[in-house]
Amino acid sequence: MPLAENRWVRAGWPLLVGVAAIVVGYALSVGLNGYFVFLAVSAVTAAIAILGLGVVTGSAGMIALCQLTFAAIGAWVVAGLNIIHAPGGFIVWLVIGAAAAGVAGVLVGLPALRLRGVNLAVVTLGFAAAADVTLVQIQFPGSADGIGIDRPGAFQNDRSYFFFSIIVLVVCALAVFYLQRSRIGSSWKSVAFSERGTAAAGQSVQSAKLTAFAVSAALGGVSGGLLAGQVGLPLASSFSPLQSLALYVLAIMSGAHLIDMAVFGGILWVLVPELLKRWGVPQDWGFVIFGVLGVQALTSGTNLGQGIRNLIWRRQGRRHATAHPAETIPESALEGIADPVTTTTVATAKGAPTGPAVLTVEGLTVQFGALKALDDVSVEVPAGSIMGLIGPNGAGKSTFVDAISGFLRGHGGRVLLDGHDLAGLSPTRRARLGLRRTFQQDRVPPALTIDAYARFVARRRLDAEDVESTLAFFGCPPAHTRLSSVDVGTRRLVEVAANVLARPRVLLLDEPAAGLSHEEHLALATRIRELPERFGISVVIIEHDLDLVRSVCPRLTVLDFGRVLASGPQEDVLADPAVMKAYMGETEML
Amino acid sequence: MIQGALAGLAAGGLYAVLGVCLTLMSRLVRVVNFSQAATGMFGAFCAVWLVTHAGLPIWLGSVIGVLIGGLLSAAIGWIAATWLSEADTTTRSAMTVGPLLLLISLSFILFGNKPQPFAPIIAGPAFSVGGVVISQVTIATVGLAVVVAIGVHFLLARTRIGTRLRALSERPTTAELIGIRSRPLSIAVWFATGLVSAIVIIIIAPSQSNDATSLSMLIVPAAASALLGGFRRLDLTVIGGLVLGMLSGLVAQIGQVSAVRNFLPFLFIVVLLLWSQRKEVWDAAR
Repeated sequence: MPLAENRWVRAGWPLLVGVAAIVVGYALSVGLNGYFVFLAVSAVTAAIAILGLGVVTGSAGMIALCQLTFAAIGAWVVAGLNIIHAPGGFIVWLVIGAAAAGVAGVLVGLPALRLRGVNLAVVTLGFAAAADVTLVQIQFPGSADGIGIDRPGAFQNDRSYFFFSIIVLVVCALAVFYLQRSRIGSSWKSVAFSERGTAAAGQSVQSAKLTAFAVSAALGGVSGGLLAGQVGLPLASSFSPLQSLALYVLAIMSGAHLIDMAVFGGILWVLVPELLKRWGVPQDWGFVIFGVLGVQALTSGTNLGQGIRNLIWRRQGRRHATAHPAETIPESALEGIADPVTTTTVATAKGAPTGPAVLTVEGLTVQFGALKALDDVSVEVPAGSIMGLIGPNGAGKSTFVDAISGFLRGHGGRVLLDGHDLAGLSPTRRARLGLRRTFQQDRVPPALTIDAYARFVARRRLDAEDVESTLAFFGCPPAHTRLSSVDVGTRRLVEVAANVLARPRVLLLDEPAAGLSHEEHLALATRIRELPERFGISVVIIEHDLDLVRSVCPRLTVLDFGRVLASGPQEDVLADPAVMKAYMGETEML
Repeated sequence: MIQGALAGLAAGGLYAVLGVCLTLMSRLVRVVNFSQAATGMFGAFCAVWLVTHAGLPIWLGSVIGVLIGGLLSAAIGWIAATWLSEADTTTRSAMTVGPLLLLISLSFILFGNKPQPFAPIIAGPAFSVGGVVISQVTIATVGLAVVVAIGVHFLLARTRIGTRLRALSERPTTAELIGIRSRPLSIAVWFATGLVSAIVIIIIAPSQSNDATSLSMLIVPAAASALLGGFRRLDLTVIGGLVLGMLSGLVAQIGQVSAVRNFLPFLFIVVLLLWSQRKEVWDAAR
């Protein structure tokens, strides 16, 4: 087995890197001269703050312009606890400061539950500006009397304090690394791409956003607390909005969601002004440079870290391609799957199952102003069945999916899943209860690998084998593939596969075949046909393509102008003159 | 009480003018320009330098300063129109954080980080109502806010250029297809709002804390007032600016709650946003 695929190596290498970093940190703390040691602590504090920005801005995609305000809160708490000689010493104070900053982050993040994008930027900038003025007025505890902050016992002098800061950095970086890899990290990347997609995966959008804010602010708090310990008497001017802006720009241009790049950003934060100083250039030019590079990064939508990684991945991909020409799905994974049939007259399983209904829709009515998008729609989906929902454009098919999956509030009628009324439940709750859906649009977050996405959507413990075999069943690329490198049609296959891994009761597929070629189309049809038996999932397919519907769905429901035109076994429905008329127009009747 | 509120009216007018600029930018060129006040600040500082160091008369220095403010804004607009013409509002707005940072730092380098010796262009009391003195600056800023808002309204509603601008903002691709040239028009919008911001900052700067950061951060109360109009309505923006200015004037009078004053624009923003977005739940319609 190759080293990279060993489970222990995969789980443990970050720890090894961390230990190595601590060793290097110790060597530096002994070897560097005093002036550089002080600068290095500054770089470490900046790196921790940027690490936080990497979470909220880099991963979760929210603009936060107040990172150093959270740092100020951390520093303020540490200074305050120092004044009252709180028990526990510096390390405990640091943790409390981080927690306080985290709470502040949640409070500032609360508006983010409703707000996104530029509105959030306005909120955070407003917070930074207000807190800055206030901080200048009230100052840090002890600064008036010149009471310096006690450093932790074993780390009194600058050298050992630098070593301490390296340990803190390693702890923070490891925490962020494992969080990023966890389902929480996936939820950040998912919410950055699509809130609807996140909710449909059973992940609360609110908690995704708030955890991002809290983690980011707590890291800001750690950074501020460390800085307070470094300088002894923190000053309000170290936490000005201008520096928060600069830090944001630095995070954007370095690509701070990558941990190495956050550390690199911290080094730049110190290195650029220091170099300018050596060359006799005013240090304010540093922020001018950051400003220019930031505009460059923001206009081109690229960042240094991702650029480097893309380059490496492309190299690896090329090497991989030469080593394993034409990687195909292992035959064993496809055992038991009938060959895709290329005719449209495939007989679907006769005698469609008529077990107890798993999904019942009663009198569903949706009104947009004067328009009734759905009018008294009643449908039953028996357990273990596949129902096709067809109808011309504007018939209300997508509205139907939205209403049932909980994205449309205030519809009339009832939706029952296994006999439980879903009224008032959010899309997230419905997804967790076993009502899953896919989207017509691309809602698959490109920042994830297929494996991380599948685990995120599945919301349960999965063996690597489960994931690989299900992916192979749908003809998806291998699990370690990055979604950003996969075309839209394949992403939709991955979306279907991941939702199947979630083992829902009912899966609503909203035009799953859009963007697929004809062959892929037919292959998908054969796989969908096996879902009830193989995975115990009932399926509702919304589809334009009558070929797919005919070959997969024993039962059909036809919508037209928001009403059910016909419903029942396939051949009866398709023979219904009203359906023919709605679908083909009257002239086709000849 | 009334005295405090009226004292805040001058600042309110300033917020309103900047807010109108922000609203205009948001409507016409799809951006929340974080450097809106910073370009004005930089133009104003240039004006001061020209007057104190180059010995230009105040009016000439001011005119050149205003032009510099407009050109800086146009330069940012050129970047947005050239490389981010297809980008969404958030990306375009995030880009303007770069110039904000750059302009503040550059002004530290060129002009130092101390408040600037602004020679007041307009000063002295205008008249007094019931014992409360209204300054000329108040008249100027509030007047400018109203004039700009009404002027823009008529420009957009009644003129050919206005129609083109609206077409461009609402259906950029369609507008381009019927032959409206988008880049010069949108850069012109940036230029015009840059001019207006510089003018109002030059008027108000002598009578308030006028270091580079404070002036640039006027973007926060300006955004607060623009939010009352949802970044769309000019009349509500003007009202929002005036109300915010008067509120902070009021609060400033009460000694104990001066910390609240600092947070007033922030709270204003949060409350307005939560109210205006109360119905919006999802990030996409489908």
